[in-house]
Amino acid sequence: MEGVAIIGAGQTRYGDFPEKGLKELFAEAYFEMLASVDRGFDPQLIQAAYIGCLSAGSGFQLGQLAPLLMGHVGLPHVYAVRVENACASGGYALYNAACAIASGKFNFVLAAGVEKMRDVSSTKGRYWLGISGDTEYERLAGLTFAGIYALMATRYMHEYGLKREHLAMVAVKNHRHAVANPKAQFRQEITLERALSGPPVAYPFTVWDCSPTSDGAAVVLLCNAKLAKSFTDRPVYLAGFGAASDYLAVHDRHTITSLHATRKAAAEAYKQAGIGPGDIDFAEVHDCFTIAEIMAYSDLGFCEEGQAHRLLEEGVTQLGGRRPVNVSGGLKAKGHPIGATGCGMAYEIFRQLRGEAREPSRQIPNARFALSHNVGGSGGTAAVFIYRRGD
Amino acid sequence: MGAHISIPMYQRAIPQRYRLVGQKCVKCGKVNFPPKAVCKYCLSSAEFAPVKLSGRGTVYSYTVIAGGGAPPEFAEIARCKGRYPVALVQLEEGPVIIAQLVDVPEEEEIFIGMPVEAVFRKIYEEEGVIRYGIKFRPA
Ligand SMILES: [Zn+2]
Repeated sequence: MEGVAIIGAGQTRYGDFPEKGLKELFAEAYFEMLASVDRGFDPQLIQAAYIGCLSAGSGFQLGQLAPLLMGHVGLPHVYAVRVENACASGGYALYNAACAIASGKFNFVLAAGVEKMRDVSSTKGRYWLGISGDTEYERLAGLTFAGIYALMATRYMHEYGLKREHLAMVAVKNHRHAVANPKAQFRQEITLERALSGPPVAYPFTVWDCSPTSDGAAVVLLCNAKLAKSFTDRPVYLAGFGAASDYLAVHDRHTITSLHATRKAAAEAYKQAGIGPGDIDFAEVHDCFTIAEIMAYSDLGFCEEGQAHRLLEEGVTQLGGRRPVNVSGGLKAKGHPIGATGCGMAYEIFRQLRGEAREPSRQIPNARFALSHNVGGSGGTAAVFIYRRGD
Repeated sequence: MGAHISIPMYQRAIPQRYRLVGQKCVKCGKVNFPPKAVCKYCLSSAEFAPVKLSGRGTVYSYTVIAGGGAPPEFAEIARCKGRYPVALVQLEEGPVIIAQLVDVPEEEEIFIGMPVEAVFRKIYEEEGVIRYGIKFRPA
């Protein structure tokens, strides 16, 4: 298997951009990616593009989004395909791109994601956000994703003594992290009291437990590790990558306080990288709802099952802690443009591992290994990546 | 905007939605609900016998959906009731079902482990057709 390196990455700010469509968002991230390659990069070298997007299938461009976007940036003839696994679309684009390099078939591949959510009416938004679960059963009980994650949270509280305050601590931490991130959608702090007393969405969640709707795009340039040093002295290597599935419907699963897809994907990624959870210096994890970050701590091996809220109490996962999680602000405050999210995590880690976090206050010092974790729906799919600083 | 669940799609699941018909695996004896092509327990058998579930069970987990958290086709219910509880119910026969809870005077009375039984109720209306199905109430 060939080694995989990241040599460039770009991302739009996430947020509300009425003046930009899918093409404009994609192009903005694409040009930032090109500019980030230290010794320059001829885009004609790109051989393939995997582009994550959910709404293209249900809201805007119905089919063939990937060639449309590649034609827009002057690469009309490369292999291009849209990848869809709901909120993990970007992570699966990255996974497929990494496999394409590892196979030896291609030397230069784009992994990207883009989403345009703010154009959608809130009625239609809730309509298509709910359709990535088990439509026939979960949806007919009157649930959207917030309700499904709420069922997990209630059970977690019952089994492990989690309090609503712990959920709110995730929101407060990630909002605080986003303040210094110029690419984040919400750059203001919230208090624990405000997080707890927000408008209810689905018990035990208030609106502050939920990630927002966002526009945005992210583009990552992968190359065969043997070629990386011709383009930069500081590549970031994808040391391990795993992806796995589960039953879409929570009622079909053996447990709802853990995501089996995450555990299997993480095991695959750790094995390939030859390291364990204790070696990870920082992580970007999928906090679409606050309980999702709490479950991720144990599913990724950062703590024993049911002990995740202790990490929050001890400040382990905040900036300056032993293992910071979601220093970007996470989906919660950086934003969650569905198809872009998985590649936006890779962008953050690429910048951090190269010491380019822009604002010195948010730079994680001396990090060598990082992890990203991207989940589809309520855990029907998950992708996990392990990154190694390449100097 | 098109219907969320079309009438033909709804009709194909009438045995499950009206009568809680599951499938008993002829190999491992466990009950699958909703139906699968291959048994989700032994992952090897594709042969089943139909079995009507009792509808008796206990609450495995629950949430209370507020107006802002309801899917658009349930917006009217959310508007009328203000909010509505939804539970994962573990049935006596093993399967877990996701459904709304009714006849709960105060939502504070809902707890994990609460005994419940299935009732036949209106679920919602779409394409001008009232869709009926299973909800649960305290037993
Ligand atoms: Zn079986």
